[in-house]
Amino acid sequence: MKRFIDHAAAWLSVANLVIVLIFLVFPIIVAITMSFDGREYLGRFPPPVYSLRWYERFISDTYYLTGLATSLKLATIATIVSTAAGVCTAIGLDRYEGPGKQALETLFLSSLVVPAVVIGFALLLSFAMVGVFDGFTRLLAGHIIITFPYTVRTTLAGLVGIRKTLTEAAMSLGATERRAFWDITFPLARTGMVAGAVFAFAFSMDDVAVSLFLTSPDSYTLPVAMVSMMRTNFDLTIAAASVVLMVFTFALILFLDWAVGLDRLIGKGVFSSQGEPS
Amino acid sequence: MASGIFAGRSKTAESLMKSLKSTTLLLLPGLVLFLAFLVLPLANIVDESLRLFEPGRIGSAKDAPYTLANYAEILQPSYLIYFAETFKFGILSSLIALVVSFPIAYGVARQNNPFWRKLAVGFLIGMMFLSTLVRVNALQLTFGPTGYAQFIAGLLDVSPSGRFYTEMVVTFGLLHYLIPISALTLIGTIQNLNPRLVEASQVLGASRLASHLSITLPLCIPGLVSAFLISFTLCLSAFVVPMILGKGKVLFVSNLIYARFSEIANYPSGSAVAITMLVVALITIYALTWMVSKWHGDLK
Repeated sequence: MKRFIDHAAAWLSVANLVIVLIFLVFPIIVAITMSFDGREYLGRFPPPVYSLRWYERFISDTYYLTGLATSLKLATIATIVSTAAGVCTAIGLDRYEGPGKQALETLFLSSLVVPAVVIGFALLLSFAMVGVFDGFTRLLAGHIIITFPYTVRTTLAGLVGIRKTLTEAAMSLGATERRAFWDITFPLARTGMVAGAVFAFAFSMDDVAVSLFLTSPDSYTLPVAMVSMMRTNFDLTIAAASVVLMVFTFALILFLDWAVGLDRLIGKGVFSSQGEPS
Repeated sequence: MASGIFAGRSKTAESLMKSLKSTTLLLLPGLVLFLAFLVLPLANIVDESLRLFEPGRIGSAKDAPYTLANYAEILQPSYLIYFAETFKFGILSSLIALVVSFPIAYGVARQNNPFWRKLAVGFLIGMMFLSTLVRVNALQLTFGPTGYAQFIAGLLDVSPSGRFYTEMVVTFGLLHYLIPISALTLIGTIQNLNPRLVEASQVLGASRLASHLSITLPLCIPGLVSAFLISFTLCLSAFVVPMILGKGKVLFVSNLIYARFSEIANYPSGSAVAITMLVVALITIYALTWMVSKWHGDLK
């Protein structure tokens, strides 16, 4: 009986794994295949002929290209600003020993809980009130505030792992506080910082909910362009754009592995909850 | 060595002041960003949500009188249904994601071969990073009319343009994102468990399944709840998935807020919905966190 139950459970978990893998991967295979569809219209899967027509259309469409250029510029600036501010904040929080430490930490991470649509809507109203109508400025503000908590969180997770005794040891051996920081804390915390920056870049490139409120006719991101195309006319240029975005994602993963090591991310508590020690 | 430490201690008062000053300086940029781009805008929509709206305008007038009408409006069934819908999909999808990803997370956490482990973790992180639009487009092509809609709807004996099928595809859209995130969250939790506990119970005669049910699962409860919370929060703020895959049949609160802004420019009402949504999300999250910390305390 015991063996039978164990066998059944083992089979169930294998079946579960197979179904999940198919569920996650198969749609992506469909999208990649369809992006090479040779037909002029959107037909049934699988396509009978293949061509690069949708990619040609994508790279000759200024609507998408303008969006892509804005997205890249926006993600780069937002990542730099929010990583710099996030690293400062995390180091400050790590060193702060006064009252309300926990409250301060919760406050900084709280924007993770605020739905993106609410942030976008609130920023739009506020910018209108102070008379800022420039799309890029508004987008930048929105992207900084949605990526900021990720950079704080990952840097903090990296810093918590560094034992205070190391810094104290360096200082008792004669290093100044600044020296101890640059020689001990900074190199050890780099993992968290790089991970935070990669997260920030990825989330900025992906955002729709905040950007949709803050775009202007001349400043819009690639995801916003794709959403409006998806709602109006359904052709396979979007599939081609998706494949281009997938290549970006893949490059980002490779970079993350090279800079940090994927395995270390799990142990660093990046994915675990706030209160849980990792 | 000892004298060095004592020398450090004697300077405490002075260095404490200095470090307090530098700590404040470090926290300053974050606080400024936070106030300017989050706290003030939120305060702004709280104010807007209490203003009277005159149809035909864009937003409220500058000196519009204060009213609670925008909040009273939300209690109407036609509004409440958006909240009910969001919660229904949020709870259901988060639970499915937990059940499905737990055995996978367990397998990855206990995988000894570094190659397979790294491949699995890399795959999950890649799936998590995948752009929402890529996902939505891929699911639309797969489960839409040019994909397998006819086939799958035929298997389930429902109409591919009916409500059930649309709801199912929206759930798939959420799950495609939630499963990798839940799995990654749970891997961290399971790694911290001592495998000896399960082995011990098996040595004492429990079946594998029974030992997991009585040892692994209870010890993972804080991790399971936090994975559920992360999933649920993501569902509450889901926007693109219902907008594209819901085809107008399934709409979340996020979509309602966007419609208030883009279709009728009723900013006071949109603000009231946004504030209500935020408060509901915060209450749910803090209630669940409080329950977990209480549970955690009871275990100790």
